[in-house]
Amino acid sequence: MKAFRGQPTIFSSPRTEKRQAELQVKEIYLSFGGVIALANVDFSVRTGELISLIGPNGAGKTSMLNCITGYYHPQKGSILFNGTDLTRRPPHEVTKQGIGRTFQNIELFPGMTVISNILLARHLFCTYGVGKASLFVGSAREEELRQRRLLEELIDFLEMHSIRKQAVGSLPYGLQKRVELGRALALEPKLLVLDEPFAGMTLEEREDMVRFLLELNHGWGQTMILVEHDMSIVMSISQRVVVLNFGRKIAEGAPQEILDHPEVVKAYLGEDEDNEEESRYHECLAKS
Amino acid sequence: MSAWLSHEGDTSFAQALSRYTLPQILTKQVERLGSSEKAIRKKSLGVWEALTWVDYLDYMKKTALGLMSLGLRRKESVGIITGNEPEWLFSELAAQALGAVTINLFTTAAAEEIQGALERVQASYVIVQDQEQVDKLLDVREQLPFVRKVIYVDRTGMRTYGDEPWLISFYDLLQISEPNETEQARLFEEELWKGQPEDVAIMTLTSGTTGVPKLAMLTHHNFTEMARNWMETVAISPGDNWISITPPAWIVDQSFGLGVTLCAGMTVNFPETEETVTEDFREIGPTILIAPARFWEDMASKIRVKISDSSFVKRKLFELSEKIGTAVTEREANNQPLPLYLRLLKRCASLVVNRPLLDRIGCSQFKVALTGGHPISPDVIRFFRSKGLNLKQCYGLTEGGGIFQVQPDEEVKPETVGKPLPGVTVRIAEDQEVLVSTSTAFLGYYQNPEATEASFMDGWLCTGDAGYIDGDGHLLIIGRKQDIMRTREGDAFSPDFIETRLKFSPYVKEVVIFGESRPYITALVNIDMGNVGNWAEDRMIPYTTYTDLSQQPAVQELIMGEVRHVNHQLPDPMKIHKMVLLYKLLDADDEELTRTGKVRRGLVAERYDPLIQAMYTDRSQIEVRGEVRYRDGQVGTIITRVTLLTVEEGKLS
Repeated sequence: MKAFRGQPTIFSSPRTEKRQAELQVKEIYLSFGGVIALANVDFSVRTGELISLIGPNGAGKTSMLNCITGYYHPQKGSILFNGTDLTRRPPHEVTKQGIGRTFQNIELFPGMTVISNILLARHLFCTYGVGKASLFVGSAREEELRQRRLLEELIDFLEMHSIRKQAVGSLPYGLQKRVELGRALALEPKLLVLDEPFAGMTLEEREDMVRFLLELNHGWGQTMILVEHDMSIVMSISQRVVVLNFGRKIAEGAPQEILDHPEVVKAYLGEDEDNEEESRYHECLAKS
Repeated sequence: MSAWLSHEGDTSFAQALSRYTLPQILTKQVERLGSSEKAIRKKSLGVWEALTWVDYLDYMKKTALGLMSLGLRRKESVGIITGNEPEWLFSELAAQALGAVTINLFTTAAAEEIQGALERVQASYVIVQDQEQVDKLLDVREQLPFVRKVIYVDRTGMRTYGDEPWLISFYDLLQISEPNETEQARLFEEELWKGQPEDVAIMTLTSGTTGVPKLAMLTHHNFTEMARNWMETVAISPGDNWISITPPAWIVDQSFGLGVTLCAGMTVNFPETEETVTEDFREIGPTILIAPARFWEDMASKIRVKISDSSFVKRKLFELSEKIGTAVTEREANNQPLPLYLRLLKRCASLVVNRPLLDRIGCSQFKVALTGGHPISPDVIRFFRSKGLNLKQCYGLTEGGGIFQVQPDEEVKPETVGKPLPGVTVRIAEDQEVLVSTSTAFLGYYQNPEATEASFMDGWLCTGDAGYIDGDGHLLIIGRKQDIMRTREGDAFSPDFIETRLKFSPYVKEVVIFGESRPYITALVNIDMGNVGNWAEDRMIPYTTYTDLSQQPAVQELIMGEVRHVNHQLPDPMKIHKMVLLYKLLDADDEELTRTGKVRRGLVAERYDPLIQAMYTDRSQIEVRGEVRYRDGQVGTIITRVTLLTVEEGKLS
């Protein structure tokens, strides 16, 4: 009876000190053999921002995310998060620092229920040992109840009531993406990294997802980095956009600036500027 | 504790009810049941939370004090557009405690419908479910100058409306005043006990299968009398579970979910969300329920589909138990004693199949399960009864204050709607219209004396339904009086009668029968996308949309089989000769159905006239162009080719 008994307990009051997320990416250089994936890319994210990373296929967007979350280790450059150097830390340590992410291709456990999948992310916050857990006594019990309550608040927020006990593998793609967002949120991340959260979704699923992301950003003050191909969504919800092309940063700024940026137009449409095509590009972007 | 309040004095309690208003009865229930019984349960964040009678009163009082501080006065009216939530009960009783009248509207109603209804009653406050309803009201705000505040229950997504002074959350409403403050509390008590049983409690939109919906006024007395009738008929006791799943704007959840549960001290259970009803239903295991025919039809077809997908052994056991069940119910219906072997078999079937099945669907705790609102196929009744579920038909109408006709436990007949409750008399007029005399009959239509007058005949309430009373005193409803039709040859038929039989097929979602002053009977059929879709997938039949699926030859053949099966049970003049599988679902958004899911026959006939005309020619195909209205108000067009199917007499599949 949340409605007349007050606000949710856990995600209710976004205390700013708990939400601090200052990310600085400095001159990152990443190559695989002879292929240069990222060349001297730098940008920064400030607390409470929603920034998007865009670029044509192969521009290095996911590589950049993988560097931030510790899946790749760049050869040069540094990544600072709230003053801590994360450059060559493994993923689990990055997670502990407060960076949660979702994946381009869903990385859930298909045979487990929605609850189990999300609960799994909470193990970071569990303090009891194997003994207590197996007997389910004392602090273990209290702790589990608290974790479950938090989980239910997430389920409520993401409107997954009717699927909470279903195996993830049996759910439609759009819902699986939502579960993945739920799992990332269960980490209570200071910085949320989303790799193409809208890919392969129906229009309705996209609208739901946009609603959730906006509510997270505006309501909870969640800091987010978004990689996405859907320009109309990117341009309408991000506060700042960073554009990559062939591993280089070619532009950065507010959505409107990016739309008019000649380098960006060139990256998306090629050197040979065709007026008709360009006008179509603008028309398409203007719809956002 | 006075004799009036003791459990032993339940009869006198029931008798005394008629002296009070509903909110007054709540205070009486607190004295009687206090915190020993649960009044309300709501599933929230995955857990069932309970409120005792003391909590119930407490929240009602807080709501009332909030409304009072906002400025709600006696004789004003309050609009309520909520889903099945405890806040609905609090608001409704709180408004009534202050002497205001409430009007419940459907959450699915469009902005114009809501605006029209609120304007007619000049609602001063509106309590709404969520952002969706708030947005609708904001859209028509210009036309609602009399609405002083909109109170929203669910705060999700409402942050951006922060400084809009027209809006306030229910949570904040509860915080406005302190119930322990003596002056406020005194005022509340004063207002509460000013209420008279003859006061109008609610206004409710009659479902209106014809024309503009009218506003029926029901008094507190109507509610308490209804409750008394029920308490005398079914052994309901405190702690029995009601599950609130029909919209609060419908008379059933008003008269039962609010009235009977309150008077009898039952527990009202609210599911977590609309999508989780099936699961929550099972967890609660309600003891009494009145659900629309569609609910039971859906459940029956789901069971059938699930069984047909299950393993060989399960299928065989199910078939066997069905045979036993049919044999038993037939004998019981004819009042024949059961031979020993049948009693033993019944036991076995119940142990092995029926009990686990009922438990699986949450129906194992039922004292009585009722279906109303629309005629149901006797096959559905037989199906559930053979499983050991006490499913019965009942009959009532908004103007009659709810359900007043039900089958007694000992004499259940699948075709009839049973006998009147105590204190109710039913008779048949010369033109076959069902007339009823009951203390629960409504006060009249709001600001519509002509319609009020027309609905009473020498003190009898006209139901508008045609029917007859059989040898055992059971009432049979043939259909709406104005819906009884005759073919060109003069044979009478009831479209409803044919439709309900065809709708028992799991593959048929909706049917509309035509044939008035025509040579033969025709049908527009809506297939059930889910079940037919599965059927098609199992047979590797590719399809894309509903339109495409409905025009697949294999699907047409499937539905044809179902129609033949029904034709087999019908007398010759009532057999369906031609049909069309409609290219879109009939939808309330297109005004083809009422919000409770009844077909608006006239409108459907008008809209699909070219199709119907074509069925009375020799053509086998027709090009059609139809409109579909989306939730956001956009209108799309469908252009497609539809096959006109002739139903031939054939072998039954």
